[in-house]
Amino acid sequence: MNAVWRAARAAVRRRRMQTFVIGLVVLLSTTTIVVALALLSATSAPFDRAFARQAGPHAVALFDPTVPADQLTGQRTGVAAAAGPFGVVTLELRDSAEFGPPGPLTVVGRADPGGPVDKLDLWQGRWPSAPGEIVLNEPVQDPDDLRPRPTALTLDDQRFTIVGLAHSLAGSADAWVTPAQVAELRPTATQMLYRFSGDVSTKAAVEADLAAVTAGLPLTASQTYLVVKEEISADVGVYVPFLATFGVLGLVVGVVIVGNVVSGAVVSGYRHIGILKALGFTPSQVVAVYLVMVSVPAAVGCVLGTVAGALAAQPLLSEGFQGLGLDVGIGVGPWIWLAGLVGVPATVLLAAFVPAVRAHRLSAAEAISAGSAPRQGRGTRIQHRLASTRLPRSVSLGLGLPFARPGRTAFTVAAVLLGVTTVTFATGLADTLVRISTIEDTAAGQIGVQPSNGRFRIAPDNGPPPAGPPATTTRTNEQVEELLRGLPQAARVTAIHRLPMSAAGQTEPLPVNFVRGDYSAMGYAAELTDGRWMTGPSETVVPTEVMRGRGLAIGDQVTLRLGGGQAVLTIVGETMDGPFGPPALFVDWNVLTTMEPERVVPPWDVFYQVQLVPGGDIAGYVAAVGAADPAIDVWNTMQVSDFLVTVVSFSSVLSLLLSTVAALGVFNTVVLNVRERRRDLGMLKSIGMTPRQVVTMVLTSMALVGVVGGVLGIPLGVLAHRFVVPLAADSARVSLPQAVMEVWHAPTLLLLALAGVVIALLGALIPARGAARLTIASVLHNE
Amino acid sequence: MTTVVRLENVRKEYGDTTALDGVSLEIQAGEAVAVMGPSGCGKSTMLNMIAGLDRPTSGSVRVHDEELGRLNETKLALFRRHRIGMIFQFFNLLDDLPALDNVALAAQLTGSRVGAARQRALELLDELGIADRRNVYPAALSGGERQRVAVARALMNRPALLLADEPTGALDSRAGEQVMDLLLDLNQIGQTLLIVTHDERLATRCASRVVELTDGRVTHERTLERA
Repeated sequence: MNAVWRAARAAVRRRRMQTFVIGLVVLLSTTTIVVALALLSATSAPFDRAFARQAGPHAVALFDPTVPADQLTGQRTGVAAAAGPFGVVTLELRDSAEFGPPGPLTVVGRADPGGPVDKLDLWQGRWPSAPGEIVLNEPVQDPDDLRPRPTALTLDDQRFTIVGLAHSLAGSADAWVTPAQVAELRPTATQMLYRFSGDVSTKAAVEADLAAVTAGLPLTASQTYLVVKEEISADVGVYVPFLATFGVLGLVVGVVIVGNVVSGAVVSGYRHIGILKALGFTPSQVVAVYLVMVSVPAAVGCVLGTVAGALAAQPLLSEGFQGLGLDVGIGVGPWIWLAGLVGVPATVLLAAFVPAVRAHRLSAAEAISAGSAPRQGRGTRIQHRLASTRLPRSVSLGLGLPFARPGRTAFTVAAVLLGVTTVTFATGLADTLVRISTIEDTAAGQIGVQPSNGRFRIAPDNGPPPAGPPATTTRTNEQVEELLRGLPQAARVTAIHRLPMSAAGQTEPLPVNFVRGDYSAMGYAAELTDGRWMTGPSETVVPTEVMRGRGLAIGDQVTLRLGGGQAVLTIVGETMDGPFGPPALFVDWNVLTTMEPERVVPPWDVFYQVQLVPGGDIAGYVAAVGAADPAIDVWNTMQVSDFLVTVVSFSSVLSLLLSTVAALGVFNTVVLNVRERRRDLGMLKSIGMTPRQVVTMVLTSMALVGVVGGVLGIPLGVLAHRFVVPLAADSARVSLPQAVMEVWHAPTLLLLALAGVVIALLGALIPARGAARLTIASVLHNE
Repeated sequence: MTTVVRLENVRKEYGDTTALDGVSLEIQAGEAVAVMGPSGCGKSTMLNMIAGLDRPTSGSVRVHDEELGRLNETKLALFRRHRIGMIFQFFNLLDDLPALDNVALAAQLTGSRVGAARQRALELLDELGIADRRNVYPAALSGGERQRVAVARALMNRPALLLADEPTGALDSRAGEQVMDLLLDLNQIGQTLLIVTHDERLATRCASRVVELTDGRVTHERTLERA
């Protein structure tokens, strides 16, 4: 073993460049693989993972508060775990909008955040320990992103000090206080949280389990976890296809590059292997030398790569999942560390083992000749044909080089191909998202306006809350619209009144946006995914989510009822989305007036969208509205979507990472090619090939690889875009307008084709220049 | 007589090792000079200096009035392309190209058209008696044939100076004889020749002058009478 170690150590020292390349490639590949696995892990049923981590309740049941505790806890049919009873009280939030709109809050008395079910993530502060203390239910956020907020709030007439923030994925409460506090407040219900041991995959199954456990008890209300899951899945589902796509690409690129680099190192060492055998090393010792030689840099690369991958993955995952309440359990888990630290080295050893075993079987003479004997047949016909072309000889020689080692070239093409696929997919994705964002931003206008109801004020997203106490405007909703139209630079104004409407054939109210003003010219028509825009009050356009949820289709008629009147509308189009808020039917305001002529819509129930003339001063208009009527909240809505930033950010980071790994694969191939062909290079230089011609020849060889990788990678990237983006949209329960998918045009495709060449040339440049500097004398005279 | 090569007090060091220690030498046009000496005496180093493959630590190397030490890598490459032809012990042919394209390669690097380069290559192969092997790849050629192809390649751009480094070292005696005849013929038609060899027979048969090197110094020179 001593001899093996000495030979391996000597080989590592002698082949510093190869050792460095293996270490670097393994490092970056491991980083990619760890990030990829973390993404794939995070995307595999993120809700289920986070829910299991919290031991979330499959059912939250509310009972009459008079039921004795022992009766509630005694029932155990089909129950895997239960928590409670907890006292529940509903209190009215009367503070301003920092905690959301005023309304009822469900407050539960719990002694601690843990327990067998609904283990709360107390992510800031502490748990209440005295009367007057409260913890609010909020998804985990980066502390740096938290805006300053009051430390106390008023519920009913009682003041509470906020001592912490915790998150229940199941939404078992809006806030928690001590049990003693709830008892003082006279609870209106008793809460039990159940995890069932049986089937919980469907609503019916959970309800059956709940029925079994609550049989004979005065159950007043209940909610299954599937309701929460569906809501959250719609939010997070949109990220899953993107993350999974990048994850799979990263994994494949990593494995391909490691396999190519390591097996290439062993194949290029056949001559050395032959010499070792000639010296008396047994075949097994020779294999051991090569495995050790490759393992040393690979081990260093794996450790550094795993750490780098874990560090790189965390912010990506946080961007994708934080704020949705799913960051619990999302991260680089132990098995990913294990994969990086054990799986990658195993891949490296396997990649080295296969060619090493081939060397094991070769006799010493065969191994030596495999490393130095003239090659026959490989690419000779192609070189011969290229020699007949009128291309500069350095170019034609370069074009023939990839055919000399078809296996290695295939691996390199695969690496470039995957790099180009990633770049193509990321480019298409970013373009589509920007188009969606542009369409939505245009339709939504530049300015949002909402008159105050005198109880709270509207705090715009990512902006400071409005100054001054809430007040009630004296204007009617029509007068507010008139005011907005009359201010300088206003081009288009749309008034939107949202109202759940009773509809024939629908068991639940249909959400409707009654719209007035310039809504047809705002740009909502660009959101159409099917059909056409409405041309009169008898027509409606419906968002995809409502279409699917209510089983509607274009051409269907919807009968709305309000008061004594009704209106029959024909669905003429389907839209991706609509104004702010949950998706709702677009219906002309005249329909509302026709159905209930005497109805008065207060101005604070109307949301206004304003578009200014081109080049209009948004800040000036906002200030003008505020000056004209301080009771009207108005804000700039032109802001970059968080989703857009998140997806574009992580797609850019991963594209860069995968492209770098692909370029390193090219780098390695060129290093090996140059080493194997140094005699040829020396000869070419000896007969007058200039350094520039050498660089041209080497770069041409890889440019060809880049072109092939690009030409093959672009269709794959386009296919991934065509498949994954609609899938993501589907997860978010929206359809996409055709226009946002038509991102592939000749200039874009040409640039993407160049991406393959750029990856290849960047990877080849350094070793090509090294080849140009090759010392001819030492190469040609030492055989 | 035109001086083709002029070495003046050339010294070459590799770390602590001195490969050439103040060598001075002149080669006139049409001469055939053999450099002989034991292994490690500096023969190949001297050849590398003259071919512009390596640079001296000190001293001057002039070939056809070009001071090689002042040329950058590109100019050295152009110098080799137009002024020098090299023959190696192990032939150094490109395995991927048949004999004809190996020979034509040297002209194609200068920008010659494919047809013209191949025509000239074919003529050379014909002169060297292996035109019928023009489409054979190096792996299928005998040692002597490979060296003939290498000689043809070296002559492709009509070099002023032909450098041969142990040209018969890898050949059997019959093939070695053929190559010796070839070099002799070339010299007799005016080709200036510098041969580095261990082979006394090659030196005495092909060269008009023998320079002996020992420990990086010229220790003896003798002029030969050729038959």
